[in-house]
Amino acid sequence: MTASLKETGLGFRSLTITVAFALWGATGAMAQDNADPSAVIRVGSLYEPQNLDNTAGAGQGINEAFNGNVYEGLFQLTDDGDVVAKLASGFEMSEDGLTYTFTLQPDVTFHSGDPLTAADVKSSIERVTAEGSQSSRKRTLANIESIEAKDDNTVVVTLKERSISLPYNLSYVWIVNDAAKDLTSGEDGTGPYKLDNWRRGSSITLSPYENYWGEKPKNGGVTFSYFKEATALNNALLTGAVDIITSVQSPDSLMQFQDNPSFVVTDGQSTTKEVLAYNDRVAPFDNVKVRKAVARAIDRKRLLNSIWGEYGTLIGSFVPPTDPWYVDLNDVDAYDPESAKALLAEAGYADGFTFTLDTPNYDPHPIVAQFLQNELAKVGIKVNINIITANEWYTKIYQAHDFQATLQEHVNHRDIVFYGNPNFYWGYNNPQVVELIASAEASGSEAERDEKLTEANRIIAEDAASGWLYLYPQIVVSTASVSGYPVNGLNSQFFAYDIAKQAR
Amino acid sequence: MSGQVETAAARPRLSRRSLTLNIGLFLVGMHVTVALLTLVWTPYDPTGMTGGRLEAPSWAHWAGTDRLGRDLFTQIMIGSRIALIVGFGAVAIAATIGVTLGVLSAFATRYLDDILAAAFDILIAFPTLLLAMLVVAATESASLFSATLALGIAISAIVARLTRILAKRILSMDYITAARTAGASWPSIVFRHLLPNIWPMLAVNFALQFGLAVIAEASLSYLGLGAPPPNASWGRLLQEAQGTVYTAPFGAIAPGIALVTLVIGMNLLADGLREAGDPTRRGRQ
Repeated sequence: MTASLKETGLGFRSLTITVAFALWGATGAMAQDNADPSAVIRVGSLYEPQNLDNTAGAGQGINEAFNGNVYEGLFQLTDDGDVVAKLASGFEMSEDGLTYTFTLQPDVTFHSGDPLTAADVKSSIERVTAEGSQSSRKRTLANIESIEAKDDNTVVVTLKERSISLPYNLSYVWIVNDAAKDLTSGEDGTGPYKLDNWRRGSSITLSPYENYWGEKPKNGGVTFSYFKEATALNNALLTGAVDIITSVQSPDSLMQFQDNPSFVVTDGQSTTKEVLAYNDRVAPFDNVKVRKAVARAIDRKRLLNSIWGEYGTLIGSFVPPTDPWYVDLNDVDAYDPESAKALLAEAGYADGFTFTLDTPNYDPHPIVAQFLQNELAKVGIKVNINIITANEWYTKIYQAHDFQATLQEHVNHRDIVFYGNPNFYWGYNNPQVVELIASAEASGSEAERDEKLTEANRIIAEDAASGWLYLYPQIVVSTASVSGYPVNGLNSQFFAYDIAKQAR
Repeated sequence: MSGQVETAAARPRLSRRSLTLNIGLFLVGMHVTVALLTLVWTPYDPTGMTGGRLEAPSWAHWAGTDRLGRDLFTQIMIGSRIALIVGFGAVAIAATIGVTLGVLSAFATRYLDDILAAAFDILIAFPTLLLAMLVVAATESASLFSATLALGIAISAIVARLTRILAKRILSMDYITAARTAGASWPSIVFRHLLPNIWPMLAVNFALQFGLAVIAEASLSYLGLGAPPPNASWGRLLQEAQGTVYTAPFGAIAPGIALVTLVIGMNLLADGLREAGDPTRRGRQ
């Protein structure tokens, strides 16, 4: 995951569209009756944070452990992709869309005992946009002109340009006590849990905060235990050292849990997309017909099965089902080698062509590359696989744009905006899409924004702007005695407060 | 009494010696045969997705299939060819560079000799794999050639140091002094006196280095720095099988066996050659 694109541009989300997750209900319903409210939930994870501050390069692990658990934002991105008000009790947007007035929840206190005030909110947002901030959200919040604490309970944010996604973007901003000192090894948030203990290299322990303003957690605390590699993590679950493991990276390690009634395997939807990215600036991939031909020549169903077995989802574009502008576009360029050959002939490549596929050297890219090599050979396209490291990928492809085609996994939520940037590494440039994506952010309502982005989504699919191979599954495995945990892990979040553990 | 014991002890040693050599020859010969066979025939198309996902070994697929449904036995056969190419190639490069520099160092003035000797020691202090990774990184992209070259260069320091030591010992012999006094040119000394005398010891070392090169190539491929896919290097097969080792252990076991048999074969061959060529033992036969 090292080379994954951690940067998201503008993001949006309708509050009204909901996506059904069959498994959510299944895990949520069990074991409630006999739950032990004092049980400590032990979570096993591979992602230990580097430090405890998400503006200081702590890594995805800190979002997992702290988002919604220790720190809260004005808004929260829920596990099924909705944005809901959290520390903001409500907000008003001005006519011109440039001024947002947020009202804060009353009676909220930080773990240190200080009350939450508008000044804390102002300093928290400024922490993210500050010069030295390493937050991945820095760029999206650069649109903020000024922040004013009108009174203790009211914050006024003025924007440079209209931005319908401000609430979504603010869901990434932790509200931190402005008097807090050391945030890299301590905390002072408003969440349902406070930090009990951080044993570097081993675990983070959270215990319930007794004066929490909202609903009390359904458990007596959480311990995140950190493991260096997947096998050790799986064994910890097998031997009962942890109750839940947060993300499984290969379907084959699931065999030991699948047919065992002591464990529950949940198959959620991640936002990680395996992408065959063409350099749309250079021949032959500057030709739409060639890109469509390649898409039609690949049996993506078989590929997904090879890599993930029964898991994962096929997507016909860059947009996963948890984004509000998702539509099923799998049929646009469905698997059809005969029409692929016809399209190649129309494009002037009746005898095929040869290209180099720059392939990152870590799983699953090399095996995906070999699959593509095989499939494309059948329609006369010869693929040369060039194995590169994550660093080379960054310099050669992401920075220098020196490539024909490459493989990469894109992990972010709401990242269709990449296609609205003609300078992005894949160089897709359709003025209509650029216009739609730019104007969507300035929409007057979320419905208008969603309509524009859905349209952009359809166009990139028709243009076969890239090859969208499949969507990774988000697999969480737990013992049968715990329930109520998030299954989709959007933005690596793992809300622990609803997890209940059955009394023995 | 003592004479009897000695005879009894000598016999098993004789048979053991030939057994080592024979097993080594058999294992290496088997891999060479398979490698040559792949040039004209393999059970399946090596990249053809002819089976299901991770099929267990069966009559149709002797070593099962990988995630893409490719026949693993075919890939392992091709792997023999890649291992032998890299092994021979690396040793040939190492022999050319190493022996040349080693002999040069042995002949050189004290000053130059010291510099070369220090250079060999520094190179040897670098782990072979690390050195090979540096060379691969310096070339444009990983390929079978870059991996072979990298390993050849890494091993050449070892060969050079051994050659230098062996050559120095020979050069101090009386017959060399005699040859020099008789006016023999240095090429004549090198090719007529020096190399024939150090050759047996070098050959043993080459066989050992061959085995190490095969392992190093597997390690490079495991790290994605060896021959690029779809070249069926054993290291790449092992790397791909890593994630499925619980559900499909044969994917890791089969290339593992192939790797072990070739390396053990080369080591036994080296041992056998050493014993057969050792002049201190020759008299006891």
